[in-house]
Amino acid sequence: MRKGIVQLVAIGLVIGVAVALVAVLFQWLPDSASEEFDRIQAIYWFATWMSVAIFAIVGAVVVYSVWKWRVPPDDDAEGPPIHGHTGLEIAWTAVPAILVIALGIVSAVVMSKNAEARGDALEVRAIGQQFAWKFRYPELGEFETGELVLPVDRQAHFTMEAVDVIHSFWVPNFGQKMDAVPGIETEIYVTPDEMGEYTVVCTELCGLGHATMRAKARVVTPAEFDEWIEEQRT
Amino acid sequence: MTATHPEQPATGYPAHFEPPHGSTHRTFFGPGLVRGAWMALAGFAIGTLLVLTLRWWWGWDPLWNSEVILVVGAMVLAPIGFLAGIGSFDYWLHYIAGRPTEPEDHSGHGARTWKDYFRVNTDHKVIGVQYLVTTFVFFTIGGLAAMLFRAELAQPGLQFVDSQQYNGLVSVHATLMIFLFIIPAFAGLANFAVPLMLGAPDMAFPRLNALSFWLLPIAGIMFVASIFAPGGAFGAGWTGYAPLAEGQPMGQTFFNMGVQWAGASSILTALNFLVTIITMRAPGMTFWRMPLLVWANFTTSLLVVLATPFIAGSQFFVMFDRIMHTSFFVPEDGGYVLGYQHIFWFYSHPAVYIMMLPGFGIVSEVISTMSRKPIFGYRLMALSLLGILVLGFSVWAHHMFVAGMADWLRVPMMITTLLIAIPTGIKVFSWVATLWRGRIHLTTPMLFALGFVTMFVIGGLSGIYLGSVPIDIAASDTYFIVAHIHYVLFGGSVFTIYAGVYYWFPKMTGRMYSETLGKWHFWLTFLSFNATFFPMHYVGLRGMPRRVFDYEEAFGSMNLFISIASFVLGASFVIFVYNMITSWQRGPIAAANPWHARTLEWQVSSPPPIFNFDEIPQIVGGPYEYGVPGARHAILEPAKEAAAQDREEVHA
Repeated sequence: MRKGIVQLVAIGLVIGVAVALVAVLFQWLPDSASEEFDRIQAIYWFATWMSVAIFAIVGAVVVYSVWKWRVPPDDDAEGPPIHGHTGLEIAWTAVPAILVIALGIVSAVVMSKNAEARGDALEVRAIGQQFAWKFRYPELGEFETGELVLPVDRQAHFTMEAVDVIHSFWVPNFGQKMDAVPGIETEIYVTPDEMGEYTVVCTELCGLGHATMRAKARVVTPAEFDEWIEEQRT
Repeated sequence: MTATHPEQPATGYPAHFEPPHGSTHRTFFGPGLVRGAWMALAGFAIGTLLVLTLRWWWGWDPLWNSEVILVVGAMVLAPIGFLAGIGSFDYWLHYIAGRPTEPEDHSGHGARTWKDYFRVNTDHKVIGVQYLVTTFVFFTIGGLAAMLFRAELAQPGLQFVDSQQYNGLVSVHATLMIFLFIIPAFAGLANFAVPLMLGAPDMAFPRLNALSFWLLPIAGIMFVASIFAPGGAFGAGWTGYAPLAEGQPMGQTFFNMGVQWAGASSILTALNFLVTIITMRAPGMTFWRMPLLVWANFTTSLLVVLATPFIAGSQFFVMFDRIMHTSFFVPEDGGYVLGYQHIFWFYSHPAVYIMMLPGFGIVSEVISTMSRKPIFGYRLMALSLLGILVLGFSVWAHHMFVAGMADWLRVPMMITTLLIAIPTGIKVFSWVATLWRGRIHLTTPMLFALGFVTMFVIGGLSGIYLGSVPIDIAASDTYFIVAHIHYVLFGGSVFTIYAGVYYWFPKMTGRMYSETLGKWHFWLTFLSFNATFFPMHYVGLRGMPRRVFDYEEAFGSMNLFISIASFVLGASFVIFVYNMITSWQRGPIAAANPWHARTLEWQVSSPPPIFNFDEIPQIVGGPYEYGVPGARHAILEPAKEAAAQDREEVHA
């Protein structure tokens, strides 16, 4: 029996390491360009390590059992009458419960942090219309642009509206997403912390041009941002 | 009976069960597909006349409104005409009209030739096969739609289809797979197995059962026919979100109405299962002696009955907005757009469990039988089904974390969503524990069951990512979601359907399928399934939204890989179809109980006698008592033994 347990653990380790390598060697997430996405990525890794462990355990028992106890088709014997094991059943009810509740608490904390308004937030209005995004900066002027430009390290408060059908505002590198819904106003906060060029993507099916409903997003220095605002005003 | 008709016992049908033979008059006016066809046409004509008369009466312009005629004529009265024509209502109409009915008329029961599968048949075993064949036909169509849009997605930009066609293909694919394959395929398997497992001669309401089946092709034909509608198929996705759906061309109406017929079919079947399971259990079959497949269908039926009216309502509201100018979801007129999503997901999240719990039941049967061990933690397995049922109604808004709904709903919905991992985890760990020290027979159904367990774990774990609100905000509406639902609905549900079809194939047909082909089918499906759907997690997280015909160049090579893998997955289905057809025709004759299973359906001949049991079985123990000396699930005289005894008595 001891030999069996060693073999089982070995299989579990092989599966666990293989899956962990898949998780680490590929870059699954886009580079984070916002404080919000940094926090989201932390929970992502929490969930990933939990998943690697659970998959390794289940995979190991399945592979081990089939390897050890497979019988030829003409075998007529029956397995031992094991009907259950109260201790085990309590364990695999309690342990997942603790894990998911922990994940839930961490998630709730991140969620409230990612929705926390700071005093100096830049107001941005995102307007979804088949099939283009429009942006306004109500505090800075009357202009409307097709390009989203944000100053680095300053929180932006997006409010959204939709002209016709539901659209969804997403910049993969910001990690934040929110539907623009006709008839109501929705909001999110993004605090960009990496300068660069990104893409605004519509992620809610909005009709024929949904796939091409993209816009450019740029995160720039505050000075460049002010300059750009001046250009827009004229 | 057999003694007086010695020429009959080969088929098991006494002479007076002979269905009436046709004269021309009978062909046209007797129940059947011919009468179904002309009565459907008549229904359409009556509907059209009704609409035209009323519009003329009120002086509405234009007199001819195709969309209204489509709904009233083609989608309500023509199907009713068809159902009346094939004879679904004959008995009830006779009863209402005070004409003599024959309560013991079994002319519509059982199948002796293939033709008996093409008429209203009240035998649950025939209906089970009717369901399965029909659903696999629609599975093929839905799969072909997927092949087409995967071909389109092999490269960025548009190559083969235009964007309305693309949206239509995606929507028709999902709708057929959900409403015409997974849900009814499970209903088919359960239709065949549940009454047998209960020790019942049939379902509680056999005529209602027949009607439930025939409602289904009506829905399927509507979904497929929408492709030929002016403006193309419905293109707002299977979720049909308002207000996008309200501005769609006529094809959307096919979806709105098709869902009504599919939903009616589901609800009637579920009611039938509930009554059957509650009232038709053989003596001694307490709830705690029921096989887990029965438990699974009991909970599923509760979900169906409680939840399905919500999707029916949501689609009626959209259709009313579209053609009757109401404003349920028209914000300019005071409509509430998010209301659609709340109603829709109040059905469609439980629907995920409707598409999963029967599979849990199948896998419990297969794993216990093929490991020759009692299922681990039987009571907790049944209770966890009920746990999922209750929790399943309190998680719908996790589909709406980025929809702009009330903020306070997010945390409670996240908690309930994550809690569902607990009963689901209990099930997975119990299946795995059932394998432990078993005598494992790695047959095709067992391979699919084990494939299910491992793939469903991946689908369940990606579900935990999505349950966490912050991760969901990043991942929702991307290909990560597409990957997740396919791990749950293909790696989950479809694998269990395959497991169930292989497992009960010998019981249904009396013949054995080819194990070699079955194993090829499994491994090819398993590998190409992973090659198709696993990379979707990656492109989704990296920034590819779902439901797009075009994407950034960076995702090109990955999408080409996915498309090629998906064609292999499509090809693997051909092996299955070939195996099923040739084995049904000329496979080796199957034994009554090739798997050494303990449940009741395996204690009668393959295929079972026309009324299942020659005498009522007496249930004396649990359904999976492997390895317990002297334990029995039921006491019954096998049909053959009984017949042999009869003969001996006659000779004596």
